[in-house]
Amino acid sequence: MTLPLRSKITRRDFLKLSGTLAASSLLAACSNEQTPTATQSPVEPQIPQVITPPPEVVNLSVPLAVAVLNRMGFGPRPGDVDAFNALGSTDEERLRAYVEQQLNPDSIDDSEFETRYNAASFETLHKTHEQLYADHIANNPYDSNDDAYWQWYSKPAYELVDATFLRAVYSRKQLAEVLADFWHNHFNVFFWQDDGVPLLVSYNRDVLRAHMLGNFRQMLEAVAQHPSMLYYLNQNNSSDAGPNENYARELFELHTLGAENYLGVRDPNTVEKDANGLAVGYVDNDVYEAARCLTGWRVDDDLGDWEDGIEKTGNFIYYKPWHDRFNKLVLGRYIPADQEDLKDGRDVLDLLASHPGTARHIALKLARRLISDSPSEAVVQSAADTFLANKDAPDQLKRVVETILLSADFSLTFGAKIKRPLEAAISTLRVLNTDFTKVPGGVPWMLSMMGQPLFERHPPDGYPDVKEVWANSMSLLYRWNFAVGITENWQDDDEQGRRIRTDVYSQTPAEIRTAEGLADFWIPRILNRTMSETDRAAIIAIMKQEYGPQETLPDDHVQYVLPAMVEVLLMSPDFQWK
Amino acid sequence: MKPSLPRRQFMQGCSYAIAAMAGARLTNLAFAQADNPSDTLVVVFLRGGWDALNVVPPLQGDDRGYYEKARPNLRITDLLPLNDQFGFHPALASLHDLYQAGKLGVIHAAGLDFDTRSHFDAQEFIELGTPGAKNTTTGWITRHLQETGVSSILPVVSTSGQPTSLLNFAPTVSISTPSDFSQWGNDLVGSQQTALRQMYQGASLLHQAGARTLDALNIVHPLTEQEYQPSNGANYNDDDLGRQLKTIAQMIKLEAGLRVATVDFGGWDTHEYETDGNNGYFGDMLGQLSAGLSNFYLDLDSGYTDRLSVVVISEFGRRLVQNESYGTDHGHGSVMLTLGGSVNGGQIFGAWPGLHNDQLYDHADLAVTTDYRQVLGELLSKRLGNSNLENIFPGFSAKYNPLGIYR
Repeated sequence: MTLPLRSKITRRDFLKLSGTLAASSLLAACSNEQTPTATQSPVEPQIPQVITPPPEVVNLSVPLAVAVLNRMGFGPRPGDVDAFNALGSTDEERLRAYVEQQLNPDSIDDSEFETRYNAASFETLHKTHEQLYADHIANNPYDSNDDAYWQWYSKPAYELVDATFLRAVYSRKQLAEVLADFWHNHFNVFFWQDDGVPLLVSYNRDVLRAHMLGNFRQMLEAVAQHPSMLYYLNQNNSSDAGPNENYARELFELHTLGAENYLGVRDPNTVEKDANGLAVGYVDNDVYEAARCLTGWRVDDDLGDWEDGIEKTGNFIYYKPWHDRFNKLVLGRYIPADQEDLKDGRDVLDLLASHPGTARHIALKLARRLISDSPSEAVVQSAADTFLANKDAPDQLKRVVETILLSADFSLTFGAKIKRPLEAAISTLRVLNTDFTKVPGGVPWMLSMMGQPLFERHPPDGYPDVKEVWANSMSLLYRWNFAVGITENWQDDDEQGRRIRTDVYSQTPAEIRTAEGLADFWIPRILNRTMSETDRAAIIAIMKQEYGPQETLPDDHVQYVLPAMVEVLLMSPDFQWK
Repeated sequence: MKPSLPRRQFMQGCSYAIAAMAGARLTNLAFAQADNPSDTLVVVFLRGGWDALNVVPPLQGDDRGYYEKARPNLRITDLLPLNDQFGFHPALASLHDLYQAGKLGVIHAAGLDFDTRSHFDAQEFIELGTPGAKNTTTGWITRHLQETGVSSILPVVSTSGQPTSLLNFAPTVSISTPSDFSQWGNDLVGSQQTALRQMYQGASLLHQAGARTLDALNIVHPLTEQEYQPSNGANYNDDDLGRQLKTIAQMIKLEAGLRVATVDFGGWDTHEYETDGNNGYFGDMLGQLSAGLSNFYLDLDSGYTDRLSVVVISEFGRRLVQNESYGTDHGHGSVMLTLGGSVNGGQIFGAWPGLHNDQLYDHADLAVTTDYRQVLGELLSKRLGNSNLENIFPGFSAKYNPLGIYR
């Protein structure tokens, strides 16, 4: 059986389109003044060592609220630290109460977010998966030569971007937002996925968010059957005549067992078995056999009007004519020929979801996100134990997350990570009490300049979660530029009627008018802790300019210089740790 | 080497005060070339595993027969002959010109000699330089620069984040384009930089990245003042690769002692709809590569190519047999390209393993007959002034057997 070549929606078409939508309000003011800089001594040649110790472990002592709000959320908004501290009389009580609250997001009053969400009047986000497919793919009313066609096609996904910024900044269900981001990266799909861009909405909502505190096995099947994934990793074209291995490989390597359990190109009969007779890791042959098991898992999307039994609903279907009916061997387990519909693929998902290697891989990745780039063996193993002990529980993943958040490591390792760009951007908007309904295009654009365009990781591994990747000059520079662009209110997009407003002046008590006073008000406001004396002096120096540190500053000076001082706090290393 | 315009601009762009403060560094600038006898290395990493057998397909004979049989819909025709055995995909016409001019060399059946078909493992092993060991905490380029030392103020530029080959090399500066690499602010930006300079003193990766960013802003700032005019009429495409290579050409012409630049060019994971005859997606990708590299070479053929070594590498090639989605799945042996004034170009290097089923790796993929470290090892010792290969590629030096790619 062969497939006809379909007309492809090229990425270039999208980029053309997205350019028109996003890039209208970019304001790049450049410095024309250079600052004298200390002479940097050249790097000394070192004796090369192949295995060198990791560069540093930064453990900073901070109030528990700072660790909690930066790790279980996108940083504090004004008032959040006080609210956390009111949850109990000891840190342990507060932590337990907060974790309990955040793991039960339906119990949280989220009226401020809901008001803003309603005000945004999203047109497409309420649509079911089938409606998204019908309205924006199968029956797009516009001519595909017109921009209107592509705008309508991509509108749901763009609305998802808008809603994601809105939620991350204003929702009080902060842990849910962190986990939605985590799982989108874990089960990564690319925004510009040729055949199914509008379906990103249902993938995010019905698959990731619906299962992220639920059961991993169920989530795995929901992912495997969603058109976003079926398209992204070419499962949609995998037939018995020539299985496409792309999805099957990433299913093993990224979604479940992880590369740490990949034993390479080896004879599967040489792989050691565990007590249950299951292979301890996987080899290439397991990927091929799993790909065969999954043949026929595809989208009901007869775009070419030629396949028997295929309609245009955009739903998942099991297409039996494409399924390889013969027996297979996966992870040492025999899968007989001619099983009932879907059973071969489900057997593979069962084997993977209950494998101890998968438990460790998921535990490691969650702990890496929530605790440290290199989480301790103890916390990884205890989370993996929770994963396996609850493998059939409807709240399995909630329990795994809880194990990690209540571990001793969680509270003791602040500074083991730096914020990823999304976290840096959102935490800036939160701490500044910035006001917006739909972000202007410049906001996601700057996130892409930091190296993390939302939902646009092209390879299937998701954005990296270790500081070595993000501590680079381009990424850091645009964190700095983001602080400036937001604080100075340079990001409005008048053409689209999108405004974003920050007013640090009106958030400052009128009686504070010395450089020292303003620094001492804004340092804890941004960082929720003190700075070193030398860093504080550097902050005061910006604020005072030609005045004395305790001299009363004229109001026009405060209005002009205060934003610049606050920006530097947001640019500081202290604001990047988490 | 003639003085370049951007450097004069750097002098003019500095206020008198900074010129005085930075005297020592300007001296470094001036002597950077004399101090640095080695080539500037440019590594272009093609992420996704490019389909080597459609880049340099066999022209004739049994192997052409196996190739055509395995790829009824994906086979490439009208090849540009490289020798009597192989040709370039027709989209590589401008690279073919460089090949004929003796500037470009091709290493066939080259790659990572390790059993993996994982993108991420293969990329990591190649870039760490330690196939099979993932716990290495430095990239191969990191170790090379540690070994040889760096004395200039802009030793390493990456135009796409921080690649693994430079893992834990703090002096790396990542820049997408000079015009994007500018700090926003009003006339208080000088005060802000003074404060940032104070706050980013420290030993952590984050602190070092901040300090390096401030240094780089000073160096790159003059380039943002006017539009860059490439030499010799070079005309870069306004695509991802074109922008990255144009940026690197500007950095080379700064003559600020650039030792290494890294470029990522992704999108090679062609599991479906790879080609449409000789055109389609894969032809477009090769067209971008060809235009990018040839314009880069033309631009730098203004006094810089004698000290330029470009290496093009991908994590693996792809399966000989096409799949049913008109694509190819992950394979093994690949093709590497080397470009530069000191390349013994116009030749195909490496032993050809053949495409008969018994000759294939795992009965499926082109085999690897040239370990990628043979190519990089020769580059290190002949062009980059580093013959201590054991430190760069531990356990490899005994197998080192240069192919004569470089003069």
